[in-house]
Amino acid sequence: MCVEHEHKVAETYLDSGLPRVRVSCTVNGESVSRWIDPTMSLLHFLRHELNLLGTKEGCGEGECGACTIILGGKAVNSCLVLAQEAAGSRILTVEGLGQGGRLSVLQEEFIKEDALQCGFCTPGMLMSARALLDRNPEPEEEDIKEAIAGNLCRCTGYYPIIKAIRTASEREREASQR
Amino acid sequence: MDSEFVYLKPPSLSDLLKHLEPWGEQSKVLAGGTDLLVLLRRHSLSPAYVVDLKGIEELQRLEEVEGGDVFLGAGITVNEAAHSGLVQKRYKAVADAANTLASYQLRNRATVVGNICNASPGADLAGPLLVFDAKVQIVSARGKREVLLQDFFAGVKKTILRPQELVYGLILPAVAAGERSLYLKQARIKGHDLGIVGVAARLDSRKKFHLAMSSVAPTPVRLTRLETLLNDSPWSPELPEQAAEAVREEIRPISDVRASAAYRSHMAGVLVKRAIRYLMEEG
Amino acid sequence: MMRPTMTPGRSEGTREERTREERTRSEGDRGETTREEGITGKTVYRQVGQSPNRLEAREKVTGRALYVHDMEFPGMLYAKMLHSPYAHAEILSIDVSEAKALPGVKAVLTGRELPYLLGLYMVDKPILAQHKVRYQGEPVAAVAAVDGKTAAKALSLIKVEYRPLPAVLSVEEALAGKVLVHEDINTLDYVKGVFFPQPDSNIASWHKTIKGDIQKGFAQAELIIENELRLPQVAHVPLETHVVIVEADPYSPKVKIWSSAQSPFAVRNLLAKAFGLSRADISLVVPYVGGGFGGKAGIHLEPLGVVLSRACQGRPVKIQATREEEFNQLPTREGLRGRVKTGVTKDGKIVAEEIYFDWDGGAYADYSVNVGRAAGYAGAGPYEIPNIELHSRTLYTNKVFGTAYRGFGHLETHWIIERQMDLVAQALGMDPYELRMKNLLREGAATITGEKITAYSGRVDQCLEAVAKEISWSGYQSALEREKAFQTGKARGKGLAVLHKAPAMPPNTSTSAIMQMDEDGNVRLLLGAIDMGQGAYTVMAQIAAEVLDMPLEKVKVIWENDTDKNPYDWQTVASKYTFMGGNAVIRCAQDLLRQMKEVAACVLRSPSEELTHGDEKIYHVQHHDKAIAYKDLALGYTYEDGTGIGGPLIGRGVYMAEGLTNLNPETGQGLPALDWTYGAHGAEIEIDLESGEIHVLKIASAFDVGRVINRKLAAGQVVGGVIQGLGSALIGGYKYSPEGRLLNPSFTDNKIPTAKDIPDRIVPIFIENPQLDGPFGARGVGEHPMISVPSVLANAVYDALGINFYELPLSPERIALALARRKE
Ligand SMILES: Cc1cc2nc3c(=O)[nH]c(=O)nc-3n(C[C@H](O)[C@H](O)[C@H](O)COP(=O)(O)OP(=O)(O)OC[C@H]3O[C@@H](n4cnc5c(N)ncnc54)[C@H](O)[C@@H]3O)c2cc1C
Ligand code: FES
Ligand code: FES
Repeated sequence: MCVEHEHKVAETYLDSGLPRVRVSCTVNGESVSRWIDPTMSLLHFLRHELNLLGTKEGCGEGECGACTIILGGKAVNSCLVLAQEAAGSRILTVEGLGQGGRLSVLQEEFIKEDALQCGFCTPGMLMSARALLDRNPEPEEEDIKEAIAGNLCRCTGYYPIIKAIRTASEREREASQR
Repeated sequence: MDSEFVYLKPPSLSDLLKHLEPWGEQSKVLAGGTDLLVLLRRHSLSPAYVVDLKGIEELQRLEEVEGGDVFLGAGITVNEAAHSGLVQKRYKAVADAANTLASYQLRNRATVVGNICNASPGADLAGPLLVFDAKVQIVSARGKREVLLQDFFAGVKKTILRPQELVYGLILPAVAAGERSLYLKQARIKGHDLGIVGVAARLDSRKKFHLAMSSVAPTPVRLTRLETLLNDSPWSPELPEQAAEAVREEIRPISDVRASAAYRSHMAGVLVKRAIRYLMEEG
Repeated sequence: MMRPTMTPGRSEGTREERTREERTRSEGDRGETTREEGITGKTVYRQVGQSPNRLEAREKVTGRALYVHDMEFPGMLYAKMLHSPYAHAEILSIDVSEAKALPGVKAVLTGRELPYLLGLYMVDKPILAQHKVRYQGEPVAAVAAVDGKTAAKALSLIKVEYRPLPAVLSVEEALAGKVLVHEDINTLDYVKGVFFPQPDSNIASWHKTIKGDIQKGFAQAELIIENELRLPQVAHVPLETHVVIVEADPYSPKVKIWSSAQSPFAVRNLLAKAFGLSRADISLVVPYVGGGFGGKAGIHLEPLGVVLSRACQGRPVKIQATREEEFNQLPTREGLRGRVKTGVTKDGKIVAEEIYFDWDGGAYADYSVNVGRAAGYAGAGPYEIPNIELHSRTLYTNKVFGTAYRGFGHLETHWIIERQMDLVAQALGMDPYELRMKNLLREGAATITGEKITAYSGRVDQCLEAVAKEISWSGYQSALEREKAFQTGKARGKGLAVLHKAPAMPPNTSTSAIMQMDEDGNVRLLLGAIDMGQGAYTVMAQIAAEVLDMPLEKVKVIWENDTDKNPYDWQTVASKYTFMGGNAVIRCAQDLLRQMKEVAACVLRSPSEELTHGDEKIYHVQHHDKAIAYKDLALGYTYEDGTGIGGPLIGRGVYMAEGLTNLNPETGQGLPALDWTYGAHGAEIEIDLESGEIHVLKIASAFDVGRVINRKLAAGQVVGGVIQGLGSALIGGYKYSPEGRLLNPSFTDNKIPTAKDIPDRIVPIFIENPQLDGPFGARGVGEHPMISVPSVLANAVYDALGINFYELPLSPERIALALARRKE
């Protein structure tokens, strides 16, 4: 359904007249390298160049959090980062959360708690949650709210999301103690 | 982005300044990009060059310098400032404000200096930096200069910065142990939102009040008349309420889509009262 | 209309005993109240009432679920639109020559080349503005280009000359009619007999409900209370903005559309009408949808996609609304001014009511005329009112146009009515709980359109009782108690409100389902409706598994909905799909069972009446070892000698609404409701007396859903809906400049609740008085949780402050300034 679109790339190149630039980085553990338009956002780089369509665009202006990814260990709005700024960095997107066909604990808890309805905010929400648990394995309710307040969800009312993050943190802690 | 520009990431300060010297007019400095990229995306700005300062090591410093002052480099993000023990301990109002700015993930990119350079009337970090008499270190290929933050703002979204210049960092003057400060912000919602009024307040070791506000004037402002009133008055339980009345006299906020002048004025009083009360109780 | 029959799907074999047992349990005088954390496993059903995970959850947490937002095709072009800067202006000229000349631009279109008008009920909306613009943000030209950047550049090269006209920006100006938004209103086509546009006016439709004699009623009244209340337009805010991809075959009339849409069959229908195409020429594909809430129910970007793709020799064209367009160009929820006059006796019985609802419908009628119509039969709330006159006028204004939004006008009308009930109680010096209890619709009562409420219609009184108990309601606090609280700087208050809603749909609405069985005994289910996150497909799979008595994992619902392949459904709106789709799926599964039994009867040499089913087998009622597994019947039964009988199993099930009638055009009397879902909220709040901020401590929400099919999903609807209602109550709202420019077309100034804005607690309560013709007794609950949330909060604000608010939102500013005024 989704194909690479070389034809489009060629035409863009003619139109913008800007020389393409090479961007290399590590995404979900894999090294990638692409020649791109210099004004491309990291969000569009992930979606259109790498075909990682899990990361969504809900506003393009830093307000909704649908585009949240983890860049160099930190949650960021990928719509407000230029692809070139990410050159040489390590990036984690929703596609990198599960390992070898198995869901991560966080994803499992999102399913169990029904922390998603339409699912459009979910990838960004998961990445904000992942970054939170990485920096704070024992978050209080207030920490969870703070971490996801920049991720708008119009469907769930947030309670199941907050619960899922909390139970995931408990399960991850148990697993690490074992 | 709808704008077209060439992205540069100079590896050193001198490279960056060398670029700005001839091309400053056609360049925009990129720090966290949370203001700049919104404009570039909408094509409201069309610089020929976007010059990223994040490649410059020396701008990534947040540390104590001589005389107990603290240097906060242009690359320091809002979250780095919020989480810094140095800032939390000595300049609590700055940490408070940093924690209210936008969302967590945005604060991972947004810089403190970017907030100042953007010079929005509502810039959350401006008030706290004003009450600590922060100084702005400015550099260009021709040399350095230092100005007080309150002289840095020139109007709505305007600063005194020349196109060839870069803000190198901020100097937060040393504070005495036991000083207290805080930042209070009123927004429309509890989640991430721009403030409709923000109050920064500090009580220094000589028991003098320092106050500043955002969103009530074309630039963030020091409340000098209120400071005089407070510092000339004996402390009394009525003082916070008097301060609330006085601030409503001093400021002339506007009505806009975010709030009416009446509510801004009302909340300015409320926040000033709460701030003064807090400082008096703790102080 | 309520037939005392058994639910389809319950009348056979082993199922029957279970069902009987179940019914006697919950049909007692009082329905059972179950809490989220409360009683579970109380039924003998295997699926119904359980909480399985949603079927598509894995795709969604891994980022593998694809939305139209994510789709790209070879040769695809990107379209962008140019918007009117004026609320109302004549278009003098449009010069697109420079835009057309830009390399990479494949088509530039303006309204002059597109002589089409579209509309669900009033055919009033051009694809691009034709000779004039009717709201700021209306598209006047569109460009398709090789990429978005080029399209954006082309837009900047289009020159439009306007002559500004005076704009109609309020219901008052609309009613005055000095300026007409649609000067051609007299000649517009519309659905006659259902909608009533008024000549030479801005009234797109005037719906009347007249019952009894209000003159007499008011004469009996011992007290008459009159109020005016308002609320502004509020945006839906799906996280995925509207988006379509259209491919129009240049060699035939065929068009293929991928759309983030709720109602593909309705879009197909309207497109066919507008372009004179056959339905078969149009295919609409709907993959995952990133939220709809009614905003994606109608037809929106699809027609523009069609004309652009045609202008580009059939290359696929993608139009993705920006967030700004989502707020400013695409439709929103109507604003409303409500005037209500209630006559009561001293002991609190309502004897007469006169209501005027004036809807700020914006520039085009879209769904808002039907919202106005629904207000005509539901707008007085779930009360018995012997004498009533209700006028619901949908008005044209020069603002962003209105459409369906979760609740379909009921949040708005209940803002008026449920505040009015508290205001009446205050005037009477009565407990608002008592006042409501005295007037609520109960068995034997008649609605304002003359429909009789029966024992099986659901119980709003039980909902109210449950939430009152949950928040320990004991009446308004006294002035003294309030004074005391004021000393602390914080005031607390409690409030109550009730609600009802029936699906707003034509009497002949229908839906259908198809089921096929694979040779491994798995069932594939094809449905007509869209699952945009409400969980419809999971509920349908549960129902299928229940009827077929097989594990849920063996029922697969086909996700990507395609009008070429999926069976028909009217529209995914109105919280009616659990009811209608559920019944269709039950019948579909029964059809499959019947076919299996027919073949099994031959193979087992038993009459099919003596066969029953269970555990994926057809077996003899007495001799259980005479059995055949479903999978052995799936493609027809094969005898040992290799010959076969039966053939592949394909089940079909349809459901068409029953017992509904059109409404009388003069009096609005008739039967509009498939089912009424009743509900109530109780709220506890705390107000910061200086900042005016409301902190919601708790909202308890009870709904008589007849039967919960999926507890987890139902609770999710309640919690999510209440928070959306909270947004409407405390935050939401469009703001315009005096010239009619939208001032807050972005998230910066048009906010929705975040994780930090939610109440401390929400308590969903489900009451289960079964609806006899609902699937397993179920009714819909998708929209209801939002309704009456603003009213319950404002009622609690009154309790806390002793101040009544008549306008939304209940922003900190509004509350703080009211408190300051009172101080003076
Ligand atoms: C969704 C959202 C929410 C926001 N919420 C808030 C909020 O609550 N409170 C608030 O105050 N702000 C808010 N902002 C604004 C913004 O995030 C802040 O102003 C931020 O601190 C800017 O920092 P930055 O590093 O991202 O700046 P950039 O965007 O990189 O730069 C901002 C401007 O300053 C210039 N500049 C940056 N650094 C230098 C330098 N060293 N020398 C010279 N010029 C320089 C740039 O050229 C540019 O013009 C919000 C923004 C967004 C998108
Ligand atoms: S798309 Fe990046 S924050 Fe909305
Ligand atoms: S699940 Fe739909 S926006 Fe969060």
